[in-house]
Amino acid sequence: MRSLIRKYSGQSWLKVGGMAAIILMSCQSLHAQNELQFHIGYNVNVPAGSFRDLIDKPAYKGFTAGLAYPVNQQLSVGLDVGYNDYYQKFPRQVYNDGKGSDISAVVSNSVQQFPLLLTANYTLVKKGIIRPYIGAGAGVNFISFDQYLGEFDDPHSSVNWAVRGEAGFLIPLSRTSSTAIRIGANYNYAPFNKYGVDNLDNWGIHAGMRFPIH
Amino acid sequence: MNRLTWLSGTALAIVLAFSSCKKDPLNDLTNDESRIYISNYDTTASFSSYKTFSIADSVDVIQDNQLQGRQVTAFDSTVISSVSALLQQRGYQLVSREASPDLAVNVSRVYSTSTGIFSYTDYWDYYDSFYDPYYWGYPGYGYYSPYAIGTYSIRNGGLEIDLLDLKNATVHGNKIVTVWTGLARGEQVFRSANAAAEVQALFDQSAYLKN
Repeated sequence: MRSLIRKYSGQSWLKVGGMAAIILMSCQSLHAQNELQFHIGYNVNVPAGSFRDLIDKPAYKGFTAGLAYPVNQQLSVGLDVGYNDYYQKFPRQVYNDGKGSDISAVVSNSVQQFPLLLTANYTLVKKGIIRPYIGAGAGVNFISFDQYLGEFDDPHSSVNWAVRGEAGFLIPLSRTSSTAIRIGANYNYAPFNKYGVDNLDNWGIHAGMRFPIH
Repeated sequence: MNRLTWLSGTALAIVLAFSSCKKDPLNDLTNDESRIYISNYDTTASFSSYKTFSIADSVDVIQDNQLQGRQVTAFDSTVISSVSALLQQRGYQLVSREASPDLAVNVSRVYSTSTGIFSYTDYWDYYDSFYDPYYWGYPGYGYYSPYAIGTYSIRNGGLEIDLLDLKNATVHGNKIVTVWTGLARGEQVFRSANAAAEVQALFDQSAYLKN
């Protein structure tokens, strides 16, 4: 029996995000430093806390994207969206419930997280080739959780709140444009409290680009 | 936008599109890994108190909770012989049905059918499974089907082995109690080549099942 239909799929998220990135790339860059900014990047996240009881391998499939409005030369506020796909398969093992039942199965855990956060970022240095920044975000985390016993799965989805702390640096590509390489690290606090898992906390690193848009 | 920014942005979009694919656990399983083995036993039963067993020489075929009949396929024969051999290895003696065995062994192939329907209009409107008509050379056109509904059915099954307590039937109020059930499900569960291994797996996780 193959997997059941999930309540929602991440594919629509990915299509919208990809199309937005392609459309926005055709915009002209400006001299002005306070235009709306779009950033997109690849990120790798590693489970932390009780999340490691489910999966302890890094998630190499992920992205982060967002829009930011510069309040001034150093502070910007905006909206970030992200995606991470965590997966791990465990060798066949017998699981006993202590009540007379034993199940021998290959267990596979699959978790996808889609955080949607309001963010604030502060660039510590206004000028220079390398400009460190710090940031924070808070919002909701859309979670898709599925555990397979062999080929038989039990999918669930939920929405929880989430908080993120971030630090990194920007490398502007020219003096006349705010287009920049964006590299950083983040820690995500993601409560879950379901199925014996307290949280889906994770830390990650990301690398991408920031583009000015009209 | 200068060339450098355009090229770097395009490369980034390609990398992100690739990295955003979700890992499908089902594609990461072999047929053997897809199978699960479940055993349940009566925690009040004393398996060391049973001395003899008898096993039915054919397999019940159950479809959607109804007995369809009894068969002996190559798969069935292997399961019956494997169960018999393993019980004897565990110290139980094989006897005929007329010799008042302590345990009766029943083997079944259990099937269930699920039926679904899908709407053709949803197929191209919501599932995006059809290419946009532009792909076929008809930009701006729409799709139409004279029939709106399609149906499909999926049949899946499992192997079930039951040990029945004949010895204490009277003590249990004229009831034959099931003291152990082994269930195997997954890909190729009814393949003859897998039969012996499936029975072995069920017995391996049932160490208490011994005389």
